[in-house]
Parts: sequence; C-alpha cells; structure tokens
Amino acid sequence: MKKRNIAALLCTVLFSLSLGACGQTDQASQTGQASQANTAETSSEAASETSSDTQKSLVWGDTTFNTMNGEPSIDPHADSGGWACIRYGVGETLFHFSDAMEMEPWLAEGYKNIDELTWEITLRDGVRFSNGKAMDANAVKACLETLIAKMERAASALHIDTLTAEGQTLTIRTTEPVPTLLNYLCDPYGCIIDVDADVAAEGIVIGTGPYKATALTPDTSLELVRNEEYWGDKPALDTITVRTISDSDTITMALQSGEIDVAYGIPYSSYPLFENDYTFAGCATSRVFFGAMNFESEITSDPAVRKAIAMGIDKNGFVDTLLNGNGYPATGVFPASLPYGGDAVKAKEYDPEGAKEVLEAAGWKDTDGDGIREKDGKPLTLRWLTLPNRQELPLLAEYAQSTLGDIGFDVQINNTANYNSIRQDPSAWDVYFSAMITAPTGDPEYFFAYHCLDRSGNNDGHYHSDELEALHAEMSKTFDPQERQKLAVQMQQTILDDDAFLFVSHLRMNMIAKPTVKGLAAHTTDYYEITPQLDIAE
Amino acid sequence: MKRYVLKRLLWTIPILFGVTLLSFAMIRLAGSDAVLQHADSTGVLLTPELIASERARLGLDQPFFVQYFRWLKGFLSGDFGNSFVSGKPVLDAFWEKLPATLLLTGSATVLTVLISVPLGVLSAVRQDRFSDYLIRFCSFIGNSLPNFFVALILVYLLAICFPVFPVISKAVDLKNAVLPTLTLTIAMSAKYLRQVRAAMLEELHKPYVSGARARGVPFRKILWNSAFRSCLVTLMTLLALSIGSLLGGTAIIEPIFMWDGVGKMAVDAIEMRDLPVIQAYVVWMAVIYVLINLLTDISYRFLDPRIRMEGES
Repeated sequence: MKKRNIAALLCTVLFSLSLGACGQTDQASQTGQASQANTAETSSEAASETSSDTQKSLVWGDTTFNTMNGEPSIDPHADSGGWACIRYGVGETLFHFSDAMEMEPWLAEGYKNIDELTWEITLRDGVRFSNGKAMDANAVKACLETLIAKMERAASALHIDTLTAEGQTLTIRTTEPVPTLLNYLCDPYGCIIDVDADVAAEGIVIGTGPYKATALTPDTSLELVRNEEYWGDKPALDTITVRTISDSDTITMALQSGEIDVAYGIPYSSYPLFENDYTFAGCATSRVFFGAMNFESEITSDPAVRKAIAMGIDKNGFVDTLLNGNGYPATGVFPASLPYGGDAVKAKEYDPEGAKEVLEAAGWKDTDGDGIREKDGKPLTLRWLTLPNRQELPLLAEYAQSTLGDIGFDVQINNTANYNSIRQDPSAWDVYFSAMITAPTGDPEYFFAYHCLDRSGNNDGHYHSDELEALHAEMSKTFDPQERQKLAVQMQQTILDDDAFLFVSHLRMNMIAKPTVKGLAAHTTDYYEITPQLDIAE
Repeated sequence: MKRYVLKRLLWTIPILFGVTLLSFAMIRLAGSDAVLQHADSTGVLLTPELIASERARLGLDQPFFVQYFRWLKGFLSGDFGNSFVSGKPVLDAFWEKLPATLLLTGSATVLTVLISVPLGVLSAVRQDRFSDYLIRFCSFIGNSLPNFFVALILVYLLAICFPVFPVISKAVDLKNAVLPTLTLTIAMSAKYLRQVRAAMLEELHKPYVSGARARGVPFRKILWNSAFRSCLVTLMTLLALSIGSLLGGTAIIEPIFMWDGVGKMAVDAIEMRDLPVIQAYVVWMAVIYVLINLLTDISYRFLDPRIRMEGES
C-alpha cells in the first residue's frame, strides 16, 4: 500500500511539474521571452543556424513550397518552379512591380515599343549570374527561347516570334500585338537564368538574385547562400534554409519552438499566439474570394435573384467576424492597392431589407410560411458549389447560408474536392464560389480573359455580355496602360451591374517572423519575399 | 509447404490485377483529373487548348481501358511511369521515401511490442488489482485519443515545453523518429495490451494451467513457456495487420512531423489524381499484404504445431 501511495505521489508531482513548466513557457511567450526560451535546446540545430559566430543565417518555413503546389524545384521553366525561384531570391525578372504595383525595370534598364509587334529592351550593365557569367542579351535570349520551348503556358501568353540579341539590347518580335508582353515577363516564369549551365537533377538553377541555391530536396528543404556576384545591395544574410512544412499546426509550433525564424502559411486561428512578440508582415493581395452565377440555371438566370444575392451577403461581417479581420471587403475584381481596383467601381451594398423587396417584386414570396420563398411552386433553393482547399471558402458558404437564409433563400452547400467535374455541368449548381489571384501580371485583362468572355475556359456559368465583349476587344489592342486601366474599370462595372459575379473579400497575406528578423516585407503579388534587405539580428 | 507457398504467391497475380484495375476505376469515378487538379492547386488558369494538350500529353484523353492496359504493359516490363505532378520516375520517388517508412514501421512495432507485451501480461496476471486498473485506464485513454491529437500534445510537451526533440524532422534517423514513433506506439500499445491481456486471461483460465500449478510447476515457467506461447498466435495476427498498415505509411502522422514517407505521398497522389503514383502505391500495398499474410500463416505453423498448412497431412 505504501509503495502505491509513493508511486501515486510521484506521478502527481511529475504531472504538476510538467504542467508548471508548460505554464511557465506560456508566460514567457506572453512576456516576450518566448523566442529566447524556446530556442534554447531543441533547436540546437536551429540555434546554431541563427547565431553561430560569424555567419548570419535564417530558417524560412513555408507551407507552399512543395510538389503539390507545382514547386518540386526552383526551375522557372518547369511547372510553377518560377514562384520558388523568385520568392527565395534566386531569380529575377527583366521588370518587376513596385509596392504600388507599377511596373519598373529590374534586370532591364528600359524599353522601347518600336511598333505593335516589336519591343527593344535594354539590359542593365554589370549583372552577373551567380556562377560569374555576365548577363547579356545573348544569355537572356537563350533563356527566353528555352522558356517558350519548354512551357506552353508562357509561349501562348508571350506570342514570341523572334528574339534578337546585340550586346545589352534584346529585341523581341511577337506574332501578334501583345500589349501586356512586359507584364507577362514579370511572371515568375520570366526569371532569367543561365540556361547554358546545367540544371541540376533536383532542379537547381543559376540565377542573378541575391542568393544562390546549393542544395534542394523536393518537398523538404532548399539551401541558399549569399550570391557574392550580386549586382545590387549586398545581401544581408550568409545562408538561408527554406523548409517545406505542409501541416499548418506544425509550422505554428515550429515557429513557437524557434526552429524557424519566418513562417509563411500560419493559419488565422493561430495568429493570437504570435500577436504580442512576433513581427507580422502583411498586405492585401489580389487573391479574391468570388462567386460566379450560373446563367443556365432557372434560379440564377433571374436577374432579381442575382441582385438579391449581391445585396444579401454582408462582406464586412464576413471579414470582421469569420476572418478575424484578415481580409479586405471586396468591391470589384481588384484590391484597392491597384489603380483600377477598390472603390474605382461600385457594387451593391449589403441591404437585406432591400433584397427582400427585390425578391417580392419579382414574385418570390414565402406562401407557406416555412421561411423559404417560392415562385410558381418552385422554392428559392440556391445550390452553392465551393471547394475545401482554401479555409475561407467553406466559412463563406456557411455565412451566406445564414444571411441569405434570413432573406428567404434555401442555400444548399456542396463543398467538394470534386468541384472541377461539377462546375462543368451547368445543371448541377447555381453559384460557384472559388478564389483566384486576379492580377498576377499587374494587368487587368487576366481575370476577364479567363472567366467572363464567351471564349473563356472558366466561364462555366455561360455569362455573356455584348458590352463586355466589345470592351475586351478594345482592351486587347490597347497598349497605353492608362487606357487599359479605364477599360478595366468599365469592364468590372459591367459584370457588377449584371450581377454576373460577386466579389466578397480580398485576402490579406501575412508572414510572421521572430522579432529579430528585419527587412521582411510582403508584396501584393506575393512574388518577392527573400530580398537583399532580409536580415536577422545577431 | 513449398507448394503452399507457391500457390499463395501465384494468387498475387489475380490480386494485383484486381486491385490495380479497381483503383484505376475508382480514381476515374472520383472525377476531375491530374491536369485540372494541378491547375487548381497552383492557381494557374489554363486555356481550354492548354488543358486539352496537357491531357493528350499525359494520355488522359484516351479511353479508360486503353489507359489501364498501357499502364499494365509498363508495369509488366518494370516501368511504373513518371509522376503526372513532378514528372519524375515513380519508382525513384518511391524508393526515396521507403527508408523513412521502414524506419518508422520498425521503431513503432518494436516499441509497441516492448510496451504492450509486458504490460498486457502484467495486467492479466494481476487481474482486478490496482496495476490492472491503471493499465486498463491508460489503454482506454490511448484508444480514445486520435493520432493527430496525440502528436500535437507530444510536440507541445517534448518540443515546446521541454525542448528535447525537434518539431520538424530534418533527417531519417532515430532522433527525428522519436516523436512520430511515440505517437504511433501510444495508439498501437493501447490496443495491443488489451488484446494481450484478454488472450493471456483466456490461457490462464485453461485447465492445463491449473494442472501444472497443482503439480508444482513454477508459475513464471507456466506463464512464459506455455500460456504466453499460446498467445503468440494472437499477437502475430495483430502484428501482421499493423505492420502492413504501417508499411503503407501513416498519412496523418507524416505531415505533422514532416516525416517523408510513402503515406503522405499516397494521399497527395490521390488528391492530385496522380495515377502512376497511386498505382505504384496500390501494387506496393497488395504485395505487402500478400507477403505479410503469407509469413504470418507460416509463422503459425511454428508457433503452434497443432496448426497445419493446407495440403499437409
């Protein structure tokens, strides 16, 4: 009996001690000592990476750097490897976007538009690849030729006919007018790499960026070292390790334990853990959560129903309550950070009473008192198709089910990974909510070309507008950026007036870092993350 | 015996044909395809022309049976094809991930046996005493907790509160395998020790045990030489099922610890409709289960001489 008592006592003491220790860690984290306390031991490896005597090193955790996301490597000519190439500072493009999303020369110094088909690009002098080879027009020509030979997506966007190299001048001739050619060259696939250097088996390429890759294990890690040949400001760090972490809880705990210094992809629900002691670098992106109406459906082909849906969803409530403020209510296709986005267009305000009146006037009435409106004996059932692979979309569906339910809709949610098959069958849904980056090239044409036109591959709801088709035809031959922006506003307003699409919110993208990390900045495009300015205090 | 083994191995052929055809059909029925899933996953919008050309490149525009028999032809010549997602040879990726799975299977199985056998036997021997209640209580808790929850608790305790082990596995070695092993062991031991206890209790209540005790045979000898040996058939059956399942990877545990095994690869492949990888995984699982079941059946023959193989007199 004595032995048992002693054992029980020991168990109690051990349990209390462990709880106490955890409690102390929590307290430490609240008082700003978390990183020091946590880095102590576990992360002996991480600690050695972050504070060894002479080397400045940083560990970057990322949930997106993986094969599933099209990034098995950093080769910009393979799949979506260009994203990793540009994000992690290995590659750079000829032009890039400023914080205000204005296109600026990067590896280029300037350009001339000789005629509608000919572009003359002057390259920056003194730029070298990380292997020491000079970046001249011949190297860029070889790179772009390889790009269009290997990647059909790039070839079909750029429409390059011929490339001519002379010293630092590259002349591009296209097969048809491409007003957005330079924008497309800002896409991550446009990273300039030395194609004469062998691409390593695992997909390491030689770029001009501030860091060069030394080792890559797909879906696991990427090792970077400072590019001593870099043409710009001296990169602040000696080495960087990019770690792929696919689980959102794991990346949260890896940042808590100090194993990583910067985290990309922490879930919203974990933000409170870091609010006091960590640095948040965030900005509005052009990723929008939006719905497409099905014009083949008996329900949503009724303009009154579409209007009522547009008036029946409280965008502010969704962003403030369900996203905890980690988003921006959307008006149109583009965020307010773009000159043709935000309040440049007008959308219907949240007005549930007004929505009810619209439905009443159109003959949708609740005749049997069950809370769901009917018309000609047909209930106002809205089949809401969405997908589970972004955490915001199922939340939005449930939120709309509630708010539209108050107006008299019976919202039936189909949240399925099989949405690709279903959305192509117009008899299977009424509204389809998804998410996309609407301005990946800084130009407005992308969204309309893919979603809203008769020829658009993703116009699954078969929306048609003569006005929109005419505006797009004009845009496709307009080179002047200011004019394109004006057209973008008109095109947005057209689809909003038709209630053909409903834009609910734009994503606020956040990276969270230890307080010792300096120079971390988020960018609207999500392209530029590891820059020469990224630093860590010793 | 040889004939029996040969017969069982020959059965592998129709089994492989059946399961690979079934998995091919199920992926087809699941809708979507590798091109659309990949476009969605990367957020890249493709024109209908690009989608059609990608489908043609991967052979997805062909009729179902043409696709299947093309794969089968490759498989019979030892070519599992290239992943639709990474473009790399499937077998290379598979061999790369196998060491991690084998290590985790081995460590979790050994630790489970080391924990559950002594505790199960102790629980049976000390039936209805404090230690029995305590062990059964722990087993109940272990059975009730989902794996991912145990994993998160272990990480919180052993990587954040007491920073002894890393959150993220950085290599396939024993130190990095500790937390995933513990996670699997807790769930498996909780199940095993109840089975061991039940099997031991059944044996201990048999007349031969009472007879041996009456003849003065030491209890320890009866316990380990007779009763426990009889329980080994039960234990072997459990182990066979668990090892088969573990060799198929642990899809929930692997992403949490960034343990690069075949389980996560299989789940990713299913999500991306990566048919060549799914088919390779299905073949692997079928072969594992056929072989392990065969080995288990053979082991019964040695563990319990009363058991005879089919065809033996």
